[in-house]
Amino acid sequence: MPRTTDTLAALATPAGTSALAVLRISGPDTASVCRAALGRTPPPRRATHADYRDLSGAVVDDVVATYMPGPRSYTGEDCLEVSCHGSPYIAQRILADLLARGCRPAQPGEFTQRAFLNGRMDLSQAEAVMDLIQARSERALASAQQVLRGALSRHMKELVDGVLQSLATVEAYIDFPDEDLPPEDRGRLEARVASVLEGAERLLATGRTGTLLREGIVTVIVGEPNAGKSSLLNRLVGSERAIVSPEPGTTRDFIEERMSAGPHGLRLVDTAGLNPCATGIERLGIEKTLERISGADLFLLVLDASRPSPALAEALASRITPSNTLVVLNKMDLLAAGAPPVASAPAGLDRAEVSSLTGLGLRELRERLERLAEGLQSTFGEERIAINVRHAHVLEQARGCLAAALEKVRTGGPPELLASDLRGALGFLGEISGKVDNERVLDQLFTSFCIGK
Amino acid sequence: MYINPKVYDVIVCGAGHAGVEAALASARSGASTLLLSGNIDTVAQMSCNPAIGGQAKGQIVREIDALGGEMAINTDVTGIQFRLLNESKGPAVQSPRAQCDKKAYQFRMKHTLELQPNLTLFQATVTGLVYADGSVTGCRTNLDIEFRGLCVVVTTGTFLRGLMHIGQNKNEGGRLGDFSARTLSASLMEIGMELRRLKTGTPPRISGRSIDFTRMQEQKGDPEPTLFAFHDTRDPEDLFHVEHSGESRIGWSPGSAQVSCWMTHTTDQTAEIVRSNLHRSAMYSGEIEGVGPRYCPSIEDKFVRFADKPRHLLFLEPEGRSTNEYYINGLSTSLPFEVQVDLVRSIPGLEHAELLRPAYAVEYDFAPPTQLYPSLESKLIRNLFLAGQINGTSGYEEAAGQGLVAGVNAASKARGAEPMILGRHESYIGVLIDDLVTKGTDEPYRMFTSRAEYRLQLNHGSAELRLAHHARRHKLLGESRLARIDAKIKSVQDGVLFLESERFQGSSWASWIRRGGEGSGLPEAFQGQTPQVRQEVLYRISYQGYLEREQREIDRMRHVEKIRIPVTFDYLALPGLKRESAAKLARIRPYTLGQASRVSGVNPTDISLLMVAIGAGRSEAPNP
Ligand SMILES: Nc1nc2c(ncn2[C@@H]2O[C@H](COP(=O)(O)OP(=O)(O)O)[C@@H](O)[C@H]2O)c(=O)[nH]1
Ligand SMILES: [Mg+2]
Repeated sequence: MPRTTDTLAALATPAGTSALAVLRISGPDTASVCRAALGRTPPPRRATHADYRDLSGAVVDDVVATYMPGPRSYTGEDCLEVSCHGSPYIAQRILADLLARGCRPAQPGEFTQRAFLNGRMDLSQAEAVMDLIQARSERALASAQQVLRGALSRHMKELVDGVLQSLATVEAYIDFPDEDLPPEDRGRLEARVASVLEGAERLLATGRTGTLLREGIVTVIVGEPNAGKSSLLNRLVGSERAIVSPEPGTTRDFIEERMSAGPHGLRLVDTAGLNPCATGIERLGIEKTLERISGADLFLLVLDASRPSPALAEALASRITPSNTLVVLNKMDLLAAGAPPVASAPAGLDRAEVSSLTGLGLRELRERLERLAEGLQSTFGEERIAINVRHAHVLEQARGCLAAALEKVRTGGPPELLASDLRGALGFLGEISGKVDNERVLDQLFTSFCIGK
Repeated sequence: MYINPKVYDVIVCGAGHAGVEAALASARSGASTLLLSGNIDTVAQMSCNPAIGGQAKGQIVREIDALGGEMAINTDVTGIQFRLLNESKGPAVQSPRAQCDKKAYQFRMKHTLELQPNLTLFQATVTGLVYADGSVTGCRTNLDIEFRGLCVVVTTGTFLRGLMHIGQNKNEGGRLGDFSARTLSASLMEIGMELRRLKTGTPPRISGRSIDFTRMQEQKGDPEPTLFAFHDTRDPEDLFHVEHSGESRIGWSPGSAQVSCWMTHTTDQTAEIVRSNLHRSAMYSGEIEGVGPRYCPSIEDKFVRFADKPRHLLFLEPEGRSTNEYYINGLSTSLPFEVQVDLVRSIPGLEHAELLRPAYAVEYDFAPPTQLYPSLESKLIRNLFLAGQINGTSGYEEAAGQGLVAGVNAASKARGAEPMILGRHESYIGVLIDDLVTKGTDEPYRMFTSRAEYRLQLNHGSAELRLAHHARRHKLLGESRLARIDAKIKSVQDGVLFLESERFQGSSWASWIRRGGEGSGLPEAFQGQTPQVRQEVLYRISYQGYLEREQREIDRMRHVEKIRIPVTFDYLALPGLKRESAAKLARIRPYTLGQASRVSGVNPTDISLLMVAIGAGRSEAPNP
């Protein structure tokens, strides 16, 4: 039996929304991951309810966990299956957390391979599974290539080329010490490595994929008091968490709920209204609301459709744009059927007509919200890109290598270690853009330098 | 045709750097061996520059010593200048290099061959191979003598249909003054072996008395020479090769009486001469079909491809102690002779230079090495091994490393033993052979340290520590040396442990070193170790984090590297395997899953599939 040192983690259910998503973990660290994330190792082979807590200690989801100690498990190793709510957002968050805890994303077929090698499967069973996996991974590859043909591919190429150029320079001075190379230009190398590092960080940060995935998209519900903000939140998350009151200005402490819009995770924040003539305690709420507004990714601007809309507070008006705001014309049930809303929404913003009371238009609202979230997640400058959790995971590791490389260029660290960091980065980038053959480093080297006596 | 009655275990055809190592390794591992050479006065000839080692190559030479080969010790005692390259950088990328006395090098090597038990040296040119039942059984020679052997190693360098060019002038031959092996190519093609053309070149040699050294910059050897052989573990009598019989041999105390090289450069006039005569160069007039290396461009290439670089550095290297011939490193060309004279004389210090031999380009056949297993045995026919330049490599060291492996494996095959396959994580020779048989090559393949993904593990000083288990298994070193290596391995481990555990300044000596502490400040107990042990210990301690990172990667790959794929495995019949992958794998027929994973275009899912399919027939395979 191969002595495996690493613990694998992967989604066992296909991507997409289903009622439940299952994650599978296999390997020597399974039990310790259980203790850390679930608080304990569940009793063997019994489906057990537990709160899944991420590294920061926050509860991600209430999951059903089944622990199967080896050798009597699917792979023959210690295994854990975690069923969480079907939202891809939650499943992805758990996966991201497992990777952060040191698990390695499983290659397609790797669980089966371990199962087979540990004698848990015979050849024909294993071949059948592998056949399926092959088909699925080819489809996945096809769609990945689709993604890569776009902007992401261009950015990845820039990063890879930048690392290749830096590496070729470093290698030239290592491998050809006796050649007549121009004096080593560490300043130029520093600029180049710094720019690649910045590129990797932009790809990670501007898309905010990492944080958005971990934390969710902060979506703040704003609007005049009594417009129906709390009711809308309750409708969207399906529980009576926010206090709904006919009395304006009731919502003072922030109610925050998680929901998913398609594949995206949202943090829905209910606020007090922005009543311009508020006093006392309500005033306090408004200040807090302004604070929330400044940290928002998206806005749901709720208007009472049955009444003329008041002017928007300046703090809000300056923040809302067509790409971050959806106008919700609420209380449509109060209007005569077919009648246009009395309220008027700021021009240029997308809008949805709903009734939080009856549920009318809610479905459409969700769709628009998803589209808005989609646009936000895939914004990279002017372009649209898509980085999934695996991309984010490897990019983050590439970033780490590049930061270490930059440090060495700055402090004049040993070139062979600098090369080791750059190769590390190239390896991780290669996990997204395809393995970078060493031959390309040499190509770059021989095109840039006149080598040879 | 007379058939020699003796059936040798191994016949080696060709006595260049690959051939001599192959023959010695085969004989030393106990096989009766015949070494054939068209001219036994020119064994182990340095056809290009008279130097051994350099980046990555120096490491290879030390590995050869660790595996009982001859190149290292032969260089040490016939070297006339020694330099450690990259001394200012870390140990992993430092490499020893030496200028050698070209003639002394060959004479000592010839004598070594003559003294080697189990080895017969004989002068004859191999004209063809003899095959029977899918196996090679011997070879024919120009003397109408046929020799029979269980295994044959072909190490014919650039001699297969060698064609030399000097401008429009063409001469058949693998090297100036030598012949070309024409019929041997046919003999290889007869079994379906594919042959392609490569090209390489060499600069003019000039007479030392015509050189004005005052116009050049001197480059001296290191006062403390770094040698290639591991003298700390060798049997002392090896050094001066005074055998017990009292026979004495060529050679001098390593590092004694070093000579200098000289640096000069091309001028605007040189560039002008090249440019106005480009059309007369064999390479630029379309005379040459072979592909040349990118790292060793001709002077024509340098001025064309790097037109904005005004001058190129040149080194004058002495060819020996008892000759006044100099090699102009950096001035390889295939321009006509009369242009070469002007070219050389346009260089500071060479205004009155007299040419002893012209520069020339040589084209030759090579057998794309993906036709070989990692043992260097041909996939097309049993018991036939190929090593050296015939496999598309360049360089004496690359040739010698392959020769040694092919010699060991031919001898193993002859007695039905397992081959020696060196891993990429433990040697440059392993990287070299794995690259060749897995990816092939389009240009003469030269080793660079950057080709080794585990470069930090492959520092030259650790070669015998890394390879001792192979040397023991294949009986390449004597018991006394192996015992000394074992002791050295233990001293290194103990040394690391000692410095990691011994407290100093609130932490350990090891962490003090990692914070930049000097080795000289370390405790007595450690200072008592040999310099070789101390260096290795300090290296492992200071580079610990990075060495461990590489080690983790090696460990991750370890089990796939160990899983053997049966040579008869039917890739095309495996359900689920991608078509392109199946076709490629069927062609390369990788030896292990690890090798399969390096075949271009093969993805991890393919490997998982293969692992499943192979694990099935596990009954006889080693437990993965
Ligand atoms: N008819 C009708 N009433 C609504 C609707 N949404 C909210 N309301 C009512 O409007 C009042 C204020 O709602 P609330 O959600 O507390 O508003 P908030 O101050 O914006 O949070 C409550 O009495 C709700 O029942 C709706 O779509 N239609
Ligand atoms: Mg409210």
